[in-house]
Amino acid sequence: MADRWQNQGGGSPGDELLQGLEDLKRTLQRFTKGAGVWLIIGAVALLWLGSGIYVVGPSERGIVLRFGAVVAETGPGLRFHFPWPIEKHVTVDIARVRSVQVGYRTSGTTGRTGRGNTRTIPQEALMLTGDENIVEVNLVVQYRVGNPVEFLFGAYEPEKILHSSAEVALRSSVGGNTIDYTMTAGRLDVQEQAKAALQSLLTAYDTGLIVTEARLLAVDPPTAVRDSFNDVVRALEDRDRLKQEAQGYQEDVVPKARGQAAQMIQEAEAYKAQRVIRANGDAERFLYVLAEYEKAKVVTRDRLYLESIERIMPDMEKFILDSRNAGGVVPLLPLRDMGAGETAAGAVVGQEGR
Amino acid sequence: MVRLLVGLGLILVFVAAQASFTIGEWEQGMVVQFGDPKRIIQEPGLYFKLPGVQNLVRFEKRILTTDAREAEYITLDKKRVLVDHVSRWRIEDPLQFYRSVRDRIRAMARLDDIISARLRQEIATHNFLDLIRENREEIMAIVTKDTRTTAKDFGIMVTDVRIKRLDLPDEVQSSVFARMRAERERIAKRYRAEGEEQAQELRAGANREREVILATAYETGEKLKGEGDAKATSIYANAFGKDAEFYAFTRRLQAYEKILSQDTTLVLGSDSALLSYLQSPGTPRGMSE
Repeated sequence: MADRWQNQGGGSPGDELLQGLEDLKRTLQRFTKGAGVWLIIGAVALLWLGSGIYVVGPSERGIVLRFGAVVAETGPGLRFHFPWPIEKHVTVDIARVRSVQVGYRTSGTTGRTGRGNTRTIPQEALMLTGDENIVEVNLVVQYRVGNPVEFLFGAYEPEKILHSSAEVALRSSVGGNTIDYTMTAGRLDVQEQAKAALQSLLTAYDTGLIVTEARLLAVDPPTAVRDSFNDVVRALEDRDRLKQEAQGYQEDVVPKARGQAAQMIQEAEAYKAQRVIRANGDAERFLYVLAEYEKAKVVTRDRLYLESIERIMPDMEKFILDSRNAGGVVPLLPLRDMGAGETAAGAVVGQEGR
Repeated sequence: MVRLLVGLGLILVFVAAQASFTIGEWEQGMVVQFGDPKRIIQEPGLYFKLPGVQNLVRFEKRILTTDAREAEYITLDKKRVLVDHVSRWRIEDPLQFYRSVRDRIRAMARLDDIISARLRQEIATHNFLDLIRENREEIMAIVTKDTRTTAKDFGIMVTDVRIKRLDLPDEVQSSVFARMRAERERIAKRYRAEGEEQAQELRAGANREREVILATAYETGEKLKGEGDAKATSIYANAFGKDAEFYAFTRRLQAYEKILSQDTTLVLGSDSALLSYLQSPGTPRGMSE
């Protein structure tokens, strides 16, 4: 027997087939005889059955198809289905969050969060707002598979549908709002509108996809008008600056005025106080002198008079006119010139001598 | 004998492979016998046909997309717009589909024609602003409905038609940009003017406050001074009133000291009281004759 096996090596393909059939025949013959044949058949059958074993990963779902029709959806673990050609399986990752970019593309190696080299695509990014302006919008949509059976068999190329539907949703929500609202206060609102619209489209198209997040990355004026928009921002800052400066002026002027006012009042208080104190002093002095004066009126009067005169007169220029020479001072005027003149004192003395 | 059996078996397997086919979840099929449709299969599973005589034509069962190229349309208010629409549809009746359009590419072209025509008609009855704003959904609903009716003849079920992009032609776009710029400039001017306004108001307010503060202080100050003067006056009056004549005397003496300086020229009569002793020693009191 062993010899025969070895001898069957060569020969033409036709011969081989015939020999193969011969072998089969012999095998069948052995079939009835030895247990070895059973072993081989058993091994082949096991291998065949073994091809029906498959693994569903922790975040996956397995879909089992029997003659093309879905018969089961299986969870994670080691699973089994009838082998080819009866059944086959497809696994779908339902936890992985994927993303699609609308209005821009990142190129090169980029992290999940970083935007890397971003390139805006004007045809996608530029859109009309409800008030007939044009705005540049970048949107990133994150999604995952919600219904694996629908994802596989509901729509043709669901991820392409997602991209164009995201454009539809974004444009209709931007088109429903004004440019200012979209760029500022209504940004979140527009984002949510777009997300809701996108989800309803995806549901209507049986894509089996769930939008986990739709985020507006940039809502900018188009490049052609960006300067004007920046100028508005600058104008806003100018407004605040002017206001701040004026407030600064106010905060400078008012306290200074208050300080000045306080000074004026203090000065007035000081004036008042000193007036009263001085008056008191003057009065006291007068009263003291008066008390003594009353004791010897004539003498005190004379003394006071003469003391004063002594203090006043020494440095003065004095003319003494003989009162008998009546006629007053008129003939001698102007006195000042005479006083200043050379003969001043002499002339008077001379007169006196007359 | 055995050889014959094996041969027959192999032929049987071959024929079975020819006769059986599976229809997947994502497709539908039609069995055609010499160009004549015999059977429509829309449920997935294992099926048989006569080998050699019958052929199988497969069709997509999933939702399909027609993404049209953008085309120019004219609105009711004579504005030109570029519209790019996208439609979703599925083959509902493979037989009808096969007879009328035969394959997907031709179906897409036909659909595109139908939708474009309907859209042109619909856009022509709306103003531009309506189009981008209020009535976008409404218009699409009408177009979808009409397209759905027409497409039924092709065995096609249209899920919906949507306007994807609705843009202005380049030359219109640049005039929009010009308008946007003008609008922004206006807003910027307004902000700056508002800034000036507020600043001026604040400054004027500050000035007013300063004037009021100073005037009030002046008022208070003058009042205080007046009080001081009044009090001083009353103190003087009280004290000097005790001997008005003596006050007049002493006060004058003080005044002389202040008023008269060395520049003053004094002319005295020889008979003045001050000089009363200049010409004669006089007589002591009590010794008068």
